[in-house]
Amino acid sequence: MTTFTSRTSAGRRRPFSRPFSWRRAIALTLLGLAIAVSILPFYWVLRTALSTNGSLAANSANLLPADFNLGAFKRVFGLQSASEAIAEGGSGASINFWQYLWNSLLFSGITTACAVFFSSMAAYAFSRLRWKGRDAVFSLFLATMLVPPIFTALPNFLLIKNLGLLNSMLGLVLPYLFMTPFAIFFMRQFFLNMSREVEEAAMLDGAKHWRIFFQIIMPNAAAPIATLALLTFMGQWNEYFWPLLVGTSEESRVLTVGLGVFKSQSPQGAPDWSGLMAATLVSATPVLILFAIFGKRIVNSIGFNGTK
Amino acid sequence: MIKKKAIGVVAAAAVLALSACSGGNSGGSSGGDSAKGEINYWLWDANQLPAYQQCATDFSKANPDITVKITQTGWDDYWSKLTNGMASGTAPDVFTDHLSKYPDFIKTKQLVALDDALAQDKVDLSQYNEGLADLWVGQDGKRYGLPKDWDTIALFYNQKMAADAGITPEQMGSLTWNAQDGGTYEKAIARLTVDKNGKRGDEAGFDKNNVAVYGLGLPGSDAENAGQTQWSYLSATTGWTTTDKNPWGTHFNYDDKKVQDTIAWWASLTEKGYMPKLETTVGANAADNFGAGKAAINSNGSWMIGQYTGYKGIDVGIAPTPKGPEGKRASMFNGLADSVWAGTKKKDAAIKWVEYLGSAACQDVVASKAVVFPAITTSSEKAADAFKAKNVDVSAFTQHVKDKTTFMLPITDNAAKVSGIMKPAMDAVVSGKSPASSLTAANEQVNALFK
Repeated sequence: MTTFTSRTSAGRRRPFSRPFSWRRAIALTLLGLAIAVSILPFYWVLRTALSTNGSLAANSANLLPADFNLGAFKRVFGLQSASEAIAEGGSGASINFWQYLWNSLLFSGITTACAVFFSSMAAYAFSRLRWKGRDAVFSLFLATMLVPPIFTALPNFLLIKNLGLLNSMLGLVLPYLFMTPFAIFFMRQFFLNMSREVEEAAMLDGAKHWRIFFQIIMPNAAAPIATLALLTFMGQWNEYFWPLLVGTSEESRVLTVGLGVFKSQSPQGAPDWSGLMAATLVSATPVLILFAIFGKRIVNSIGFNGTK
Repeated sequence: MIKKKAIGVVAAAAVLALSACSGGNSGGSSGGDSAKGEINYWLWDANQLPAYQQCATDFSKANPDITVKITQTGWDDYWSKLTNGMASGTAPDVFTDHLSKYPDFIKTKQLVALDDALAQDKVDLSQYNEGLADLWVGQDGKRYGLPKDWDTIALFYNQKMAADAGITPEQMGSLTWNAQDGGTYEKAIARLTVDKNGKRGDEAGFDKNNVAVYGLGLPGSDAENAGQTQWSYLSATTGWTTTDKNPWGTHFNYDDKKVQDTIAWWASLTEKGYMPKLETTVGANAADNFGAGKAAINSNGSWMIGQYTGYKGIDVGIAPTPKGPEGKRASMFNGLADSVWAGTKKKDAAIKWVEYLGSAACQDVVASKAVVFPAITTSSEKAADAFKAKNVDVSAFTQHVKDKTTFMLPITDNAAKVSGIMKPAMDAVVSGKSPASSLTAANEQVNALFK
């Protein structure tokens, strides 16, 4: 990053006028390859979504959509009747797209908002407050990051079941609601670097911890909070296993699970590939948009942390 | 009065009362709220959704007090969702049931016995294709489902590939098979296999490690369903049966040389390069491979007709399964039914809906959509006509019923455990890791489940 800026600022910005260099050519080729490799899957999703199901199998090697058709997108948005879908080689299965999208937004939104807020509070306690055994507790907390989520899935499921919260949004969000070790760790690292003088000045002015937290710490941590929120949101948006266990009713089923169910229709039957890909594409869009808007912030905040 | 009480108990403690309900609450129709309101109906096959939606509309028109809400869920998720629903008291009132699953539901008392209601409403059980209705009578002699459709097995093949190989439709329609040399069935499969250099499987210089088109597609070892679509149509022609009796057999026969020879022959196709290796088919879809022109023949069930005829650019022929050593064909005969969940609060309405689903009125609607063969004999003839109108000749499937060459899908207790043992055993044989004789050991484990 630094080398890049120094070069551009040095005013050598006409790469193509420079004499040919092998190093440069190789670097550019590799870069081009890397971009192609990361873009190609997205393109393939789009290409499949724009194809007609019945033609896909016979044209598996064709880069262009097989038998171009927008029916798959119509299916996703519920604009096509089951018999029309079947005629187009779809499965007739409907995906309750808007409901699942809303559920996904709720699930990701609620957990992100709560987890970021409560984790920040915890991080504040772990970084700015002094209390006995603080670092030991924190180590213990950090150690739980080593426990694979699969181990906690069953106990959590039983707990939610006994609370009678299966198939409800509350049951879905509860395990994520308060904090995650990673989020606390992330925020703590940032809070540790904040200067103590400002805080002490505020204390002299009579501010208590609530006020310091809300009026000094939080506003100064806007960048890392945005980063954490975005990372959490993306993680939650893609979460599959827990929503699959807990949210099976229409009212609590999220997009990832909905897509998984949409995939299998009858035993041995092939999935409605174009419908599935169209739905996948549409469901990935919110995260792509978020990333396009806030992507820079992530880089900035991590950069801030790194250079101090 | 007694009934109302029972319903009250169910409402108060659905989970606890499930068992009590199916015993004391099997009366006929009529009576209070139980015959009114909205009932939930589940099915897994999305292709049939439009037909059943039509049935639901017609049904509500005739019974204005009852509405039907249909929910479709993919096969993989259907059963876990259903069992979850039964445990948590949120299962649907009526659902499409499968022969391999319903014994477990009877055992856990999740189904309503339909006998009294059917007797009272005078439902004619002889209208269904022979044997279908009997499949749904449990070991206790009570009836737990009303047949909705049936399926048999045939060979879907690529007509152009067959023509290129010099195999006529007549030849495809009169294949023979035996476990020793595979008969004309193996000859056709070998002829239809083409390697990367264009050499056929029966020609000198055929490269079995670089095959472009397999003669026979393989969607897995199919042990979960007793070889329903993959090898049961062969093993049954040897006179072998999966269990000592059917339904409710308690002894499996995988230690029999007849089935082991069949499986050994079948697995040898992979070795010879005529069928893809098992490991290359995991996660892939056999039907899509057929559609992509990578396999010439796929044996599969009648519920797949729509899938196979839907591929653009592929001219699909449907041939009957080959005749076996005893000069006859064979096909597993399977049928679905609709069952009423024991925890339903709308039992009378639910039974009424099941009776409607099992009636000619609804099954004719299903027939007209040409997706599956309805259980009622006259309706399944209408379905054959509807297929014909779509230019699909389904006689390869119906022939089994006409010629009485069908045998029933084995119905036993412990179905899930049996497939848990048989699948890895069969996978090992098909992938060449174990000899077919290793099935004897698996068979012992299976039989131990019934002791």
